Amino acid sequence: MINSDLQALSTTLEMAALTTIILLIIGTPLAWYLARMTSRYKVIIEAIVALPLVLPPTVLGFYLLIAFSPEYLPGKLWQQVTGQQLAFSFSAIVIGSVLYSLPFVVQPLQKAFEQLGDSLLEAGALLGAGPIDRFFSIVFPLTKASFITAASLGFAHTVGEFGVILMIGGNIPGETRVLSIALFDHVEAFDYARAHLLAISLLIGSMILLAAIYWLNLPKRNANVNANQIRLSK
Amino acid sequence: MKISDSELNEVSDDECSQLNIDININYKQFELAMNLPMPLKGITGIFGHSASGKSTLLRAIAGLEKNLSGDITLGKTNLVNTEQGNYLKPEVRQIGLVFQNSRLFEHLSVLGNLEYAVKRCKNRKLILNEVIELTELTTILEHHVHQLSGGQQQRVALARAILAEPKLLLLDEPLSALDQHSKIQLLKMMLNIQKQLNLPMLYVSHSLDELQQVCDTLLVLSQGKVVNFGNIHQVIHQLNNFGENALIHQQTSLSLPIKQFNNGHGLTVLALNAQQDIYLTSDKTFESQTQLRCFILASDISISLTEPSNSSIVNHLFGSIKQISYIKNKVLLTINCAAQEFFVTISAFSQQKLSLTCNQQVYLQFKASAVRTFIH
Repeated sequence: MINSDLQALSTTLEMAALTTIILLIIGTPLAWYLARMTSRYKVIIEAIVALPLVLPPTVLGFYLLIAFSPEYLPGKLWQQVTGQQLAFSFSAIVIGSVLYSLPFVVQPLQKAFEQLGDSLLEAGALLGAGPIDRFFSIVFPLTKASFITAASLGFAHTVGEFGVILMIGGNIPGETRVLSIALFDHVEAFDYARAHLLAISLLIGSMILLAAIYWLNLPKRNANVNANQIRLSK
Repeated sequence: MKISDSELNEVSDDECSQLNIDININYKQFELAMNLPMPLKGITGIFGHSASGKSTLLRAIAGLEKNLSGDITLGKTNLVNTEQGNYLKPEVRQIGLVFQNSRLFEHLSVLGNLEYAVKRCKNRKLILNEVIELTELTTILEHHVHQLSGGQQQRVALARAILAEPKLLLLDEPLSALDQHSKIQLLKMMLNIQKQLNLPMLYVSHSLDELQQVCDTLLVLSQGKVVNFGNIHQVIHQLNNFGENALIHQQTSLSLPIKQFNNGHGLTVLALNAQQDIYLTSDKTFESQTQLRCFILASDISISLTEPSNSSIVNHLFGSIKQISYIKNKVLLTINCAAQEFFVTISAFSQQKLSLTCNQQVYLQFKASAVRTFIH
């Protein structure tokens, strides 16, 4: 692999890692809130979260491009606070990725939280555990597999992103030039050898990651019993 | 278990000897409304059929029921007062709850579940190993929760609840999913723990037999309302006269001193009064007791106008009829044998034949096996 491709790889990994961390931080409370929410407006929030699943990435990218430009409020605010333009920056593609990969993190977590139910949390509260304590001592250990799934899916989906980044990031080496864009460049330049190299690496990498997720989610004997008991105690 | 007197006082001092409940809980299909000061001593039973509000009441006391208006005060601590906007969160109420489905943490071992409570307990007066012995968990400490039988799970849940050192322990049908053997084992354990730790308990059940064995006081709920509250024997006897929609099987509930454990023929003798005894089938568990709780179903007693002789029925008691009530095709007789009331149901046909009247002197007869104990 040539230096510029390696640089694209490092940009990609950096973007995906940062996106995953941000997604876990904001996705966990959002998933928790949705799992416990009984209001009829819940479906609206769920629909917004799921939107990136069906929307063409270019639609999201287009609106983000407008929002990030210095003429509009988000972009203007960003420029005032950081002194830099938001559009066509590394920060822009991270923000775009966070929105674009949101359902891949929120949905598995929400499902896990819903399945967990209230019964064990009530038991924990009566033993003196406060809400934060209950989250880390009961919820997290019992839904760890879902956290790993959510993080892996979020990461993998971000690595595979193309349309949104093309719209809001452009193609700046070391800043916004990620693997999928580099691949597109090679194809446009008829450099099929380098395109092949990137394509096959992305393919194998994604394959390994997904296989690992499915392996983690294999029904294990213990996990099954746990799930049954959780269901029974609901 | 060695616990000094001072420690006993710490676990349950005078300030929580009273639970005042004045609450309303409204759901579309269900309403619970009660206003009751409850002195807390020993194990207080809460009896009622399904949807009577038993579990809802426990959840309200524990702080798990948010849809509530009114006031609950335990000793000097106000747990909730919706008028003043007071609401103590469940995690600071120091009230334990053992659920019907043990609700153990599946990601932790038995010991892990117990330590979960110990770590979050502020007093730490109880010693973990002593509670483990008391609940007979020594051999299964390293087991995973899913390896446990139903009875073992409930024992872990009980131990875990105790280790949080609550001021009041709530038990929500803790035996209902267990087989008879485990029920008896856990019931004895609860009695033992109550005495050792002097921990007041509220014990919800739809099984009167269970409650009759361990509770001193009984609260009866029906359709979200208090039907009765007081001494368990008196409450059961008052329920006998509840009318057509009987809440219980009519019965005589007794707590009598054991006069003789075994009379040589496999019968235990209970002293009803100075003159009269009651015989029942011996059980080795009676050996360690001086007082025995038992009940006799009203349908298991028959009436004779003359003293029965040449009968295999061992129990003959002499008394006078205090009250005669007609319920459908049956007649419920209240009969005083010295100071003790007995309840007898006979058919309207027999009543016509014998034409019994109030203050008439009669003989009650029942077999030794009609005297029932739950722990048997």
